[in-house]
Amino acid sequence: MIKIENLHASINGKEILKGLNLTVNAGEVHAIMGPNGAGKSTLASVLAGREDYEITAGNVSFLDKDLLELSTEDRAREGLFLAFQYPVEIPGVSNVNFLRTALNEKRAYHGQDPISAKDFMALVREKSALVEIDPKLASRSVNEGFSGGEKKRNEIFQMAMLNPKLAVLDETDSGLDIDALRIVSQGVNALKSPENASIVITHYQRLLDYIIPDMVHVLYDGRIVKSGPKELALELEERGYDWIKESL
Amino acid sequence: METGTLNKLSLFVEDLNETALAPNALKDAAHEFLAGQDFPTTRSERFKYTRLAKLANAAFSAAQSVNEVQIAQSKILIDAYTIVINHDNIQIPKNLPSGIEVSLIAETQIPFNEAAFYDIFGALNILHASLGISIHIRQNITLDKPLQILQINSGGKTFYRHHFSFEKNSEVAVYFISKNTEGHSSFAHTHFQYNIAKDARVKIFKIQDTNVGHFDFNEDRAKQAERSHFEINTITLSGSFVRNDIQVEINGEQAQSYLNGAYWLKEEQHVANYTTIDHRVANCESFETYKGVATDKATAVFNGKVFVRKDAQKTNAYQSNANVLLSENASINSKPELEIYADDVKCSHGSTTGQLDENALFYLRARGLSEAAAKNLLLQAFMEDVLAYVKNEEVLAYVHKRIAARFNWNY
Repeated sequence: MIKIENLHASINGKEILKGLNLTVNAGEVHAIMGPNGAGKSTLASVLAGREDYEITAGNVSFLDKDLLELSTEDRAREGLFLAFQYPVEIPGVSNVNFLRTALNEKRAYHGQDPISAKDFMALVREKSALVEIDPKLASRSVNEGFSGGEKKRNEIFQMAMLNPKLAVLDETDSGLDIDALRIVSQGVNALKSPENASIVITHYQRLLDYIIPDMVHVLYDGRIVKSGPKELALELEERGYDWIKESL
Repeated sequence: METGTLNKLSLFVEDLNETALAPNALKDAAHEFLAGQDFPTTRSERFKYTRLAKLANAAFSAAQSVNEVQIAQSKILIDAYTIVINHDNIQIPKNLPSGIEVSLIAETQIPFNEAAFYDIFGALNILHASLGISIHIRQNITLDKPLQILQINSGGKTFYRHHFSFEKNSEVAVYFISKNTEGHSSFAHTHFQYNIAKDARVKIFKIQDTNVGHFDFNEDRAKQAERSHFEINTITLSGSFVRNDIQVEINGEQAQSYLNGAYWLKEEQHVANYTTIDHRVANCESFETYKGVATDKATAVFNGKVFVRKDAQKTNAYQSNANVLLSENASINSKPELEIYADDVKCSHGSTTGQLDENALFYLRARGLSEAAAKNLLLQAFMEDVLAYVKNEEVLAYVHKRIAARFNWNY
């Protein structure tokens, strides 16, 4: 699905990613954990194509394409989805209008006809039920006046609508209460299939009680320094990150 | 007659005749105002950001009449009472319902409200206006269809005057559409006078859609009586040189005024919006929102004044101007002004000018929208609160069509 090799990225001349390697195959869920400032959100931003970051070395191949050569929108159209840590409020742009545009641009990219209004509304109903989001929310302005939990559910709703190959969830659990966490996780789990994959970036282990990862990686100082099965997350929860820093 | 060297102003008026429309006292005042004047320079406050060199140097082609096909094509509303104004050809519909009277301004005796002149063009209008209409809506009349006034400029220098009288408890929507024909250079200065009696509900929509070669000056003067509702929306879809100067005098309590504007500018277009809301009495509200987008080398000016006089207690006045600049060479000069002499009022004003939100653009692109589509959505959202005042579907469709044609932005 995605293969990241020796990725170096910097912002304003400061190197954040310092030779990151990661391979995720179809059907897998990978969790990336790490202390604050390790580069977790930078990784998410770089994968989505945020132009503030400069890639100084490395390769990323996504579905056999050179990801770093693609524009942000083409990455999305190829099937990459970033669930934002801080979803942006866009007053005046309705969720539905924006999603129909997004969906149709993706379809056009793949040589498909635009979705009919009827099929689109059926899809909205089906996917909004999945994340227990009020369909009325879908017709409101993108994230405007949404609570923290509603914003994150809206991210998962968009993900369900766009049906990505690879979803990168950037601290989707931050700011969520237990109920919202359960709903968001259910949404992510329901979308899991042998054809797609997820990278779940999180600071806390508790999200991984709901989304069971195939692999857990520790990101520290711009590199993956330890990888292991799901039990590694529990160990991190119990022991913190210091023992890993000391073992380096 | 002028003596000595001819300045730009005297050259400009050389081929204009004085008309017999305005009362003599007002004409004397206009002469007095113009004595010794020339075209204003950018040193003068009201023309600080508007260069008149092009106007002074312009050669205006002779006024030509447009044909019926061109008139039909220029209409925006199909189901409306339509008045057509094209130089000396003014068409007034014959099927008007009772309660509305429309006549040529030269044939009616309507008092002129002018008490002062704000620039030379206003004074010139008093001396040289000959064409225009007077519209009288009788009390308790609600017009079943909107009134569409189509003013087509096709060459020449013309001063127009349109006087409106809305009697008490009348209700009407007026769509004033200004256009010009290509290939003719023209100048129009149009003075609008609105007398709004108590409890009248009046909505004016200015749809300005003119092209290179046309200089469009507009002076709007409104007087509102108690409990009246007056709304004026100025939608500038295109215009190489447009000035709007709206002044609203609120003379009766519990009146409401809405002044809104939207402008989309490109190339070297210039649009200036000057507004004044004069709260003279207590317990009134005014709401003002002007928004615009400018690209290429376009320039826009917004100057909004709100006066709250000593006796205008419990006034609620809100004003905002927001702009998006899409190129480094486009510019906006925005000056909101509040002058408050009463102590128990709620007033706010604000002005913002900036680029589109980079975070929002990235968010939309990260969902697969092209940069163009993302900008399109954000600009549409930006203008939405002003366009929300335009409820007429035909007019909205026209606005969208013109924006798509000029900017390739699809709303």
